[in-house]
Amino acid sequence: MNLDDALQTFIIEARELLEDMEAALLSIEQNPDDADTINAIFRAAHTIKGSAGLFGFDHVVSFTHVAESVLDKVRNGAIPVTSELVAIFLAVSDHLGNLISGIAAGNEPDAAMQALADELVAKLGSYLGQNAQANSPLPVATEAETPLERENSGGVDSDSWHISLRFGPDVLRNGMDPLSFIRYLSTFGKIVGIFTLADQVPTLSELDPEKSYFGFEIAFQTDADKETIEGAFEFVRDDALIRILPPHSLISEYQRLIEALPQEELRLGEILVRCGTLTQHELDVALNRQADHPSGPAHPLGEVLVDQKVVQPKVVEAALDKQKQVKDAKGAESGLIRVNADNLDDHINLIGELIIASAGANLIAQQTANPELHEAVARLSRLVEEVRDSALTLRMVQIGATFKRFQRVVRDVSADLGKDIRLEISGGDTDLDKTVVEKIGDPLTHLVRNSMDHGIEPVEVRLARGKPAYGTVHLNAYHDSGSIVIEVVDDGGGLKRDRILAKAVERGLIKPEQQLSDQEIHQLIFMPGFSTVEQVSNLSGRGVGMDVVYRNITALRGTVDVDSTEGVGTTMRIRLPLTLAIIDGFLVGVSASSFVVPLDMVVECVELPPEQTGDSQGHDHLNLRGEVLPFIRLKEIFDVPELAPFSPDGDEEDDDTEAGTSRLSGATGLLTEEGAAALAKDPELAFLLNPVSRENVVVVQYAGRRAGLVVDKLMGEFQTVIRPLGEVFNGLEGISGFTILGNGNVALILDVPGLVRRVAGNESRRNGGSGISLQSAKDDGAGRKLIGVGGAQ
Amino acid sequence: MAKTIMIVDDSASLRQVVAISLKGAGYDVVEACDGKDALSKLDGRKLHLIISDVNMPNMDGISFVKAAKQLPAYKFTPVIMLTTEAGDAMKQQGQAAGAKAWVVKPFQPAQMLSAVAKLVLP
Amino acid sequence: MSSSAACGRLEIKGELNIFTAAELRLQLLEAIATCTELEVDLAHVSEIDSAGLQLMLAAKREAVLRKLTLRFTGHSPAVCDVLELCKLSGQLGDPVLIHSPS
Repeated sequence: MNLDDALQTFIIEARELLEDMEAALLSIEQNPDDADTINAIFRAAHTIKGSAGLFGFDHVVSFTHVAESVLDKVRNGAIPVTSELVAIFLAVSDHLGNLISGIAAGNEPDAAMQALADELVAKLGSYLGQNAQANSPLPVATEAETPLERENSGGVDSDSWHISLRFGPDVLRNGMDPLSFIRYLSTFGKIVGIFTLADQVPTLSELDPEKSYFGFEIAFQTDADKETIEGAFEFVRDDALIRILPPHSLISEYQRLIEALPQEELRLGEILVRCGTLTQHELDVALNRQADHPSGPAHPLGEVLVDQKVVQPKVVEAALDKQKQVKDAKGAESGLIRVNADNLDDHINLIGELIIASAGANLIAQQTANPELHEAVARLSRLVEEVRDSALTLRMVQIGATFKRFQRVVRDVSADLGKDIRLEISGGDTDLDKTVVEKIGDPLTHLVRNSMDHGIEPVEVRLARGKPAYGTVHLNAYHDSGSIVIEVVDDGGGLKRDRILAKAVERGLIKPEQQLSDQEIHQLIFMPGFSTVEQVSNLSGRGVGMDVVYRNITALRGTVDVDSTEGVGTTMRIRLPLTLAIIDGFLVGVSASSFVVPLDMVVECVELPPEQTGDSQGHDHLNLRGEVLPFIRLKEIFDVPELAPFSPDGDEEDDDTEAGTSRLSGATGLLTEEGAAALAKDPELAFLLNPVSRENVVVVQYAGRRAGLVVDKLMGEFQTVIRPLGEVFNGLEGISGFTILGNGNVALILDVPGLVRRVAGNESRRNGGSGISLQSAKDDGAGRKLIGVGGAQ
Repeated sequence: MAKTIMIVDDSASLRQVVAISLKGAGYDVVEACDGKDALSKLDGRKLHLIISDVNMPNMDGISFVKAAKQLPAYKFTPVIMLTTEAGDAMKQQGQAAGAKAWVVKPFQPAQMLSAVAKLVLP
Repeated sequence: MSSSAACGRLEIKGELNIFTAAELRLQLLEAIATCTELEVDLAHVSEIDSAGLQLMLAAKREAVLRKLTLRFTGHSPAVCDVLELCKLSGQLGDPVLIHSPS
C-alpha cells in the first residue's frame, strides 16, 4: 500500500460518490424534504473534499467547499430544494467528475474548466448570501498577528517564551493528558525550565483520581511563532487557562500574568524565577509595580480559573437518534467485494473451456459401455453446468443503475426541449450481463432522446388530445424466454405512418406500390439515412440516427422493434440475449454440417410432413395444428452440400437410424443424445417407429414470431460457448457465432432472430407480391449477406 | 511498543492516506469504515487514540464516540473528531459525547500527524 | 499485593494512568491502612500519565498525614521519563535510579 494506491482508491471512491450524489439529486426533486437524501448529497461533497485535501488537490477542495457550505444550509433547512438548485448541483457534480478525471489523467484543470468552476462558485455564492468565493482558499482562521511590544526598556532578559498552564479538572476525563501537550512542545523547541504546580493535589483519601490538578510554568525556547505554540494546546483551549508570553516581554506582562494566575503571588513569582523566565530583580520590579497599582482584591485571582468554560452537557439525544437512523447503501455494500472485471472475464472464459472439455469427456464416455464412467461424467456435466450458471450470475448486474442514469438525461433533454417530461422506471431489478449493460447505454440513450424529441408532443397538442400536460417516458425491463426485453415507452404522438411511408418512398427505400404492414412501416425508421423530421434538432436529428441504434443492438445479437399507435404513443422494444458468452444450444445436423440453435428459442420439434418433403419451391410453410408455420431449409440457405464427407459427430451410422432418431424426436419434442443413442442400439424398434427417412422441423420463436427450420438430424441439447466469428464474417446474417463440439468439430450457431426475420420477409414478399422486400432492402443497406457454408466464403 | 491509533472514516482513500502517514511516523493503525465497524473493533485491544469522522453511514462518529466512552477500556481514550469548519453545533454534540479534539477537514497528512502528536507521541 | 502489619509492599504493573487510577487509589488506600511502612514497586509500570503522577503525589501526602513511610521504588523507564519531564523527583523525594538512555 502506498500513496499511489491510495490515490487510485480516491479516484474510484470519488466517482462512486458522484454517482450517488447524482442519483440523490435526481430523487430529491420528487422528495425535497427527504433528510436522508439531502444528507447523502452532503456526505458525498463532504467526503470528496476531505479526501481531496489529504492529497493536496486544492482546486477540488476549494470548489467542493463552496458546494458543501450551500449543502450544509440545505441540510439545516435554511435553503429550500428547488429545481434550480438541483440543476446547479448537477452541474457541480459534473464539474467534480471532470476534475476527478483530470486528476486520474494527471492533468491540471485548464482555463475553460476554471471559468466553469468560477461560474458555478458564483451561482453557489448567491445562495450563501455573499459574494462568490471563487478560488478563495478555505477560510483558514488566520488571526492577525498582533505586533509584539518590543520596548528595549522594561523587557525581561530571557529569550525564552513563557507558558503558563492551568488545566481544568476534566481534561483527564476527556482523554487528554496534560503531559502529552508538554511532550509535544519538545517536538519543536526546548523546554529550558519547567515547574509543575502540584499544590492542588490533595491527599489520597481526598483525591478524585480522574480529576486533573496540575498546572505548569514553562520556559520554552523555540523558533516557532506564537500561533504554533498556541496550537500545541488547541485541544485544551476550552479546558485550560493558557498564557503565552513572548521572549523579552515587558515586565508589566509578567505582572499581569502573576495577577491573573490563581497561585499565591509571591510563590508564582518565585516559580517564574526558578524556571528561568524572570530574574529575581525583574520579579521585584513586577511585584513593586503591583503594589503601586493595586488591582487588588477587586477581582480575586482565583476566579479566573477554568470553570467558566466547562462544557455544558447538553442533551442531544433526539438529534443523535435521528442521525443513527441514517440508512445508507454503504451498509449493503459492506457485504460485497470488488473484483477486477478482467479477472471475471478470464474466469468465464476458463469455464467456457471447461464446458467444452466436459462435453468431450461426455462424448468419449458414451462410446464406452462403462456405466460408472457414464455416471461420473453425468455428474461432472451437471456440476459444470452449475458452475457455469453461477459464474454467469457473477457477471449479472441489475439494469436499474443504467435506468437511473436516464433521470439525468430526461431532465436535461426536457429542459433543452422546453417540454415537461417525466421518467418512469420499472423492472430495474432485472438482471443482465455486465457486458450487455455496458453496450446498451448508448442505443438506449438514443431511443430515449428520440422519444422525447420526436415522440412527446408540445403541451398544446397534448392538452388538445386530452393528455396530461407533462409527457411520460417509461423505461421497463423484463425477462422473456432467455432474452431481456427493454422497453422505451412514451405517451407521445406515435409514429406517423403516412409520413414514414412518404419519406421512405422519397428516399427510394421502398416502392410506392409496396404493401407493408404497420409493423414493417415502423421498422423503416431504423433504415440508414431515415429521418422524418425536417428540422434537425440538436438532439436526435443529427445524422447518427436510428439505424445506428439498430446496428448496435444487432451487434449484441439483439433486435429492436416498434409498436406505435398514432396519437397515443410509441413503444420501442429492445430484445437482447441475457449473456453474450454461453448459451444452451440445441444441436442439429444438416448433411455433414452441425448447427446450434439457442435452446431458449426452440419451441418444439416436429417431423416435416411427407407432402412437404422434397418440395421447397412452392410451399415453404406447413400446417402446425391449424396454424400456418413458415419454414426455411437450412440446407438451402446455407448451401450445404448434399453429400457428407464425414458425419459431424464422427460416427458412420446409416441414414435410416438417424432418421429414426429424428422421428422420435418429432414425436416427443426434444430427444437427448442418450435417448437417441439408446434407440440407435435397437434398429428394429427404430425402424418400426420410423420406416422412412424424413426431415425435421425445429420450431423456433423470437419476438412473438414463429418459424420452422428444416434440418436433417436432431442431435439434442448442447452447452455452447459462443465464439465470435472473425472480422471477415462480420455482419453475416444467419450466423451469430461458432462453437467447438466435444469431438473437436466446429458447429455454427444460428442467428435465430435473423432467420425469423428472413422467414417473415419471405412471407411479406409473397403476400405483397412485390419484388423488393423490406428485408432485402435492409440487407442492402447494412451490407449483410447470408453465407453459404459450403460456398466460397 | 508502538502506540495504536484507530482511524474511522467512510472514505477508504482518506483512511489509507492517514494510515500510511501514521505508520510512517511509527504508530500502529487500526482502520474502521464507520461507527458500527469501529465499535466492533473495540474488543479490548489497547488504543491510544481514536480518530473518527462525524458524518458516516450506519453509525455516525458522535454516536460511536458516545458508545465507546461507555466501555471501560476506552472511557478515557482520547478522540480526535474530523469535521468540516461549518460544524459548531456538531462540535457541541461531540464535546458532550466526549470528543474534545477536532481536526477540520480537509487536512494535509502533516496536519493530522501534528494533531496526533499533541495527544500521543509515537 | 503482599502486605503485613508493619511493612507492606505493593507492586504496580502495567498502566499507571487515568484508566487504572481509580482502582489503584483503592489498592493504595487499603495498603496504607494496613501498614506503617509501604513500598510501592514501579518497576513494571509501562505507561504513566498525569493521573498516575497525581496518584503518586496524593499517596505521598496521605502517608505524610498518617505518619507512615511510603517509598516508590524501582522506577521504570516510563516513570523516570515523566518525572524528568515534570521535574517532580524532588517533590516526591524518593531516590530515582536514572536509566541510561539506551
